[in-house]
Amino acid sequence: MLLIPCPFCGPRDESEFICGGPVRPPRPDPAQTSDADWTDWLIQAPNPVGPVQEHWWHARGCGVWLTLWRDTRSHEIVAGASDDG
Amino acid sequence: MRYDVTITPLPTMALFDLKGRAEALRDWAGAALPPFPDRPNSACGDGQGILMWLGPEHWILRADLDREQALEATLRPAEAPPDLSIVRVSDTLAFFRITGPEADAILAIACPLDLHPTRFGPDGASFTRAFGVSALVAQYTEGFDLAVARSYAPMLTRALAEAAG
Amino acid sequence: MTGKRLATGGRIDRNRPLRFTFDGRGYTGFAGDTLASALLANGVRTVARSFKYHRPRGVVTAGVEEPAALVELLGPDASGNRQATTVPLTEGLAARSVNCWPSPRFDLGAVVQLAARAIPAGFYYKTFKWPGWALYAPAIRRAAGLASAPDHPPQGVYETRHAHCDLLVAGAGPAGLMAALVAARAGLRVVLADEGVEAGGALLSRDLLIDGAPARDWVAAVVAELAAAPLVTHLQQASVWGYREHNYLMVTETAPDRPGLTARGWRVRAGHVITATGALERGIAFAENDRPGVMLAGSVQTYLHRNAVAPWRRAVVFTNNNSAYAAAADLAAAGIVVAAIIDSRDQVPEDARARVAGLPLRAGHVVTRVLGRAGLRGVCVASPDGAEARIDCDLLAVSGGWNPSVHLWSQARGTLRYDADLAAFLPDRAVENVTAAGAAAGALGLPDALASGAEVGARVAGLPAPAVPQASDLPYAITPLWQVAHPRGKAFVDLQNDVTVADVELALREGYADVELVKRYTTAGMGLDQGKTGNVTVIGTLAQAQGRAPGEVGTTTFRAPWTPVAFGAIAGQRDGPLALPWRETPVTRWNIDRGAMMYEAGARWRRPGYFPATPDEPMAEAIARECRAVRFGVGVYDGSPLAKFEIKGPDAAAFLDHLYTNRMSSLKPRRGRYGLMLTDDGLILDDGVCFRLDAARWLVSGSTGHAEALHRHLEYQRQTSRPGWRVFITPVTEQWANATICGPQARAVMQALGCDFDLSAQAFPFMQLREGHVAGLPARVLRVSFTGELSYEVNVAPRHLPALWQQVMGAGAPHGILPVGSEANHVLRVEKGFLSLAHEVDGTADPHDLGLGWVMAQAKPDHLGQRAVAIRRAGGGVRRELVGVIPEGDTPLPEGAPLTPGGQRVASEGFITACVRSVVQDRWLGLALLDNGHARHGETAHVRLQGGQVIPVRVAAPIHYDPEGERLRS
Repeated sequence: MLLIPCPFCGPRDESEFICGGPVRPPRPDPAQTSDADWTDWLIQAPNPVGPVQEHWWHARGCGVWLTLWRDTRSHEIVAGASDDG
Repeated sequence: MRYDVTITPLPTMALFDLKGRAEALRDWAGAALPPFPDRPNSACGDGQGILMWLGPEHWILRADLDREQALEATLRPAEAPPDLSIVRVSDTLAFFRITGPEADAILAIACPLDLHPTRFGPDGASFTRAFGVSALVAQYTEGFDLAVARSYAPMLTRALAEAAG
Repeated sequence: MTGKRLATGGRIDRNRPLRFTFDGRGYTGFAGDTLASALLANGVRTVARSFKYHRPRGVVTAGVEEPAALVELLGPDASGNRQATTVPLTEGLAARSVNCWPSPRFDLGAVVQLAARAIPAGFYYKTFKWPGWALYAPAIRRAAGLASAPDHPPQGVYETRHAHCDLLVAGAGPAGLMAALVAARAGLRVVLADEGVEAGGALLSRDLLIDGAPARDWVAAVVAELAAAPLVTHLQQASVWGYREHNYLMVTETAPDRPGLTARGWRVRAGHVITATGALERGIAFAENDRPGVMLAGSVQTYLHRNAVAPWRRAVVFTNNNSAYAAAADLAAAGIVVAAIIDSRDQVPEDARARVAGLPLRAGHVVTRVLGRAGLRGVCVASPDGAEARIDCDLLAVSGGWNPSVHLWSQARGTLRYDADLAAFLPDRAVENVTAAGAAAGALGLPDALASGAEVGARVAGLPAPAVPQASDLPYAITPLWQVAHPRGKAFVDLQNDVTVADVELALREGYADVELVKRYTTAGMGLDQGKTGNVTVIGTLAQAQGRAPGEVGTTTFRAPWTPVAFGAIAGQRDGPLALPWRETPVTRWNIDRGAMMYEAGARWRRPGYFPATPDEPMAEAIARECRAVRFGVGVYDGSPLAKFEIKGPDAAAFLDHLYTNRMSSLKPRRGRYGLMLTDDGLILDDGVCFRLDAARWLVSGSTGHAEALHRHLEYQRQTSRPGWRVFITPVTEQWANATICGPQARAVMQALGCDFDLSAQAFPFMQLREGHVAGLPARVLRVSFTGELSYEVNVAPRHLPALWQQVMGAGAPHGILPVGSEANHVLRVEKGFLSLAHEVDGTADPHDLGLGWVMAQAKPDHLGQRAVAIRRAGGGVRRELVGVIPEGDTPLPEGAPLTPGGQRVASEGFITACVRSVVQDRWLGLALLDNGHARHGETAHVRLQGGQVIPVRVAAPIHYDPEGERLRS
């Protein structure tokens, strides 16, 4: 049960959140991107052993979609959250 | 009763969901709003209503139901400028008042929030999770107000009764 | 009972006798007894039969580590495989032995012992593999195993609650009490949880002094001070059994302070954790070491000091370390003859010798074999030169050394190191905010434990270590001995799972060299005791056989729970109706009173399926009646749960154009449009209507079951994908309840209700919205239709819906209005070919597949999912497309039934998504997703049922009624 740092509420129980998966690069401009690159962007999600940046939605809280860095080996949250993506 | 508490369902209250920048809201609503709270997840009252700061650019104004019409007339949701949002949400939440010396025990059963006085002050108000569903907790003299979506009111009635024993 | 209890002492109340039954016989114990101590006090030696070999077993320990004395509790709170050592005795308690029939002393299943030599580890799986394990498993499982499952659900009342603290101390022995005291004095919020009936830990089992007074006086003083500290929560009979991420700990309190509460589960979030969990004694593997009467030495002390139980006359003590000398001294002091102290060490430290002055001590000797079956009669002892001698006794108190309880520490992924001096694994590096203290950290004597607790507690509080009370203890010293080789008899390392030294050696011979593999092959440590007394003995045995140090062998993974936990204490109140609670609309009560069949219809909403006219009206007739009302008269449907959002902001129009496949920015106020939202992978997230309320405000509706997913999607896009845009999203699902009045007579009903706006088709056409009053109530009325008929969705505040509903039923009565359930709604939408999520929208279909290519606005430069759909379409390939199906022979088709080419037993080419009894066509018809379906209208396809039956179906357009939509626009 993670303790997730919410930028608005402070540390809160994981049970208040829904995980939105790893943060991907910004959505490319479809007019400037090849089919292959688009498909890669769509499908290739980061899945490292170690720190990964993740989206979490404070669904049972203030409603913020926050990002944080979580070490997949230890669950340690290695950098503070920020609400600006 | 297993715990020394009193659980009272509250009547429907006037609730308005306010979104946008605080200054813009203040400019639009003027004296209709209590002072804005200065800390996230806290509330500020002016005797007529309570303004709860519950999220980034998100407040809920709470008042007695008999003020709903007057507030609607003052807040004018349909005419408000595009950069702020005012929506009447009075019917969305069902409130229960939990008072008594062991009110904190019932809240500890209900939700994962740390409600110790050192962490959740006398003006505390926050969304959280209670009995598995989204909920609003607000400190009240000698206890707490706990609200869930109105559709879950029968569930909360039962859950609180079982928790209190 | 005479002669088996000490005259004085112990933590029992001799004035409160308690009656109980065991295997049907009545006994008496005292308040303060456990079932185990009461059985010992009544001379019951054989308590259970073992898991695999049905060997007689007695009480071995006095706590949660008990491997052998397993019982089944009877009565309303029946539960199986309970350790007799952890069951507090209560008046009227009824228990029976596990795994024996008819009694533990005379067990017919014990014939298996005759063949025991032929049943080593892995025997069953190697032997019973032809023709298949499943053939033999039931019989083997009947013979093996332990308690039977209770035949009724538990009757208990459970609670779960959260707690938050600066410091959680697990264990209220000397170190835990000391740490909690120091932290409490420093003003920290402290939770102290201990699994014992009372605080004190090992101090309750021994005769020690603190500051010159009995240690229990110190315990009482500390407990009193903690009770007076406002920020301290002190729990007894509270096992800290799970350690989860970020210092979230699971605690189960089995004797909560409230009447009527069976158990309470605590979920504690702690800033810091101190594991002051003590140490557990381990055994030594020697022949027949499982016989009733062989006990751990420290546990014997517990029975003497805590329960004043001394059912023995003549004891032998067998040890490899100093701690058993205190046990020997305590036995002698209780008047029991200590026939011999057998110490495997050649050199016994002088302070240990001094502790047992006058008792016969044999250094360098070992116990090789136990004599007696159901009751111990004596032991064989070997001298250093190998000569064996017999010593008669009725108790063998064994100590193989002490294992610091590192389970919680290890659950928190802290690492361990092997300490050769202590011959034990100790906490090494922490991952979470956790510190081990006292015996759990290797401080095995009382002075060290007190100092350790004080030091760690002070460190957490950020203070220098305070002075600690004076105490003395026999210093701990050990020379490890794991097993004593002997040509005959079984030498057990795991009594619960009947695992012997020979099994471990067999595993090694068969190539299972890793400790984790040995565990799985032999099942050592996999019982409910989790191998607390035997695991390190297994590791030591392995190390010895492999010529490695135990530290190189390493431990197996420690997993929660530390002790068995009742499911109820995890679930708490989330049981029965609260496990998956219903949501109710304002007319749910009315529906129930009307006799509706209620069931869940998405997102936990409890809604009417259909309304039987009489209790015995068949479901199909009721549904058909409701469908006819809508098609030919009028019906009313409670559409309140429909997902609804108000969206506003300077960028709301651009936002909606980005999310919907079609353009919403071009809508004029009070007008709406059907739309699809895709995710960026080109698949359908949801469908619904979008209305523009005014220049800046929009009303978005979505599927009932997708309300939360839709909310999540909207906020995700707003906050992470388009953070620069000014958009506000407010869920209003519960602000607007509605009565959807549908059917050719809907307008007449609306007119009868009274509306303050023009209802004519010209003034208020399809896909428009009016705000005004209906029946005097403020309302938002939408002309949308999910049935294909003229339809008014009258939205009011939920507090007004019951009143509106009554008026609608009254105004509709002249037209024969009926309330319509979700079953009829389903029939009506299938007749029209309208989509339903999870039926046609199955997570693979794109809009073109569903015949909705027209909602894919080609002129828009970009919207979510556009590129992915384009790429997939450009790639060609066969698509599964929505079609109507009409079964030949007018027979129903099961939802989900596959369509296969020619009805052959080959890969499917589609499946039935829905099939209903149409009231307008008076026959069965359905919808299906079929490969290349759009090009196959008029063809015959084939449904293949389980069992091979084939139903031919005619493929048609997926609209079976009013294809031009004239009725819904009327």
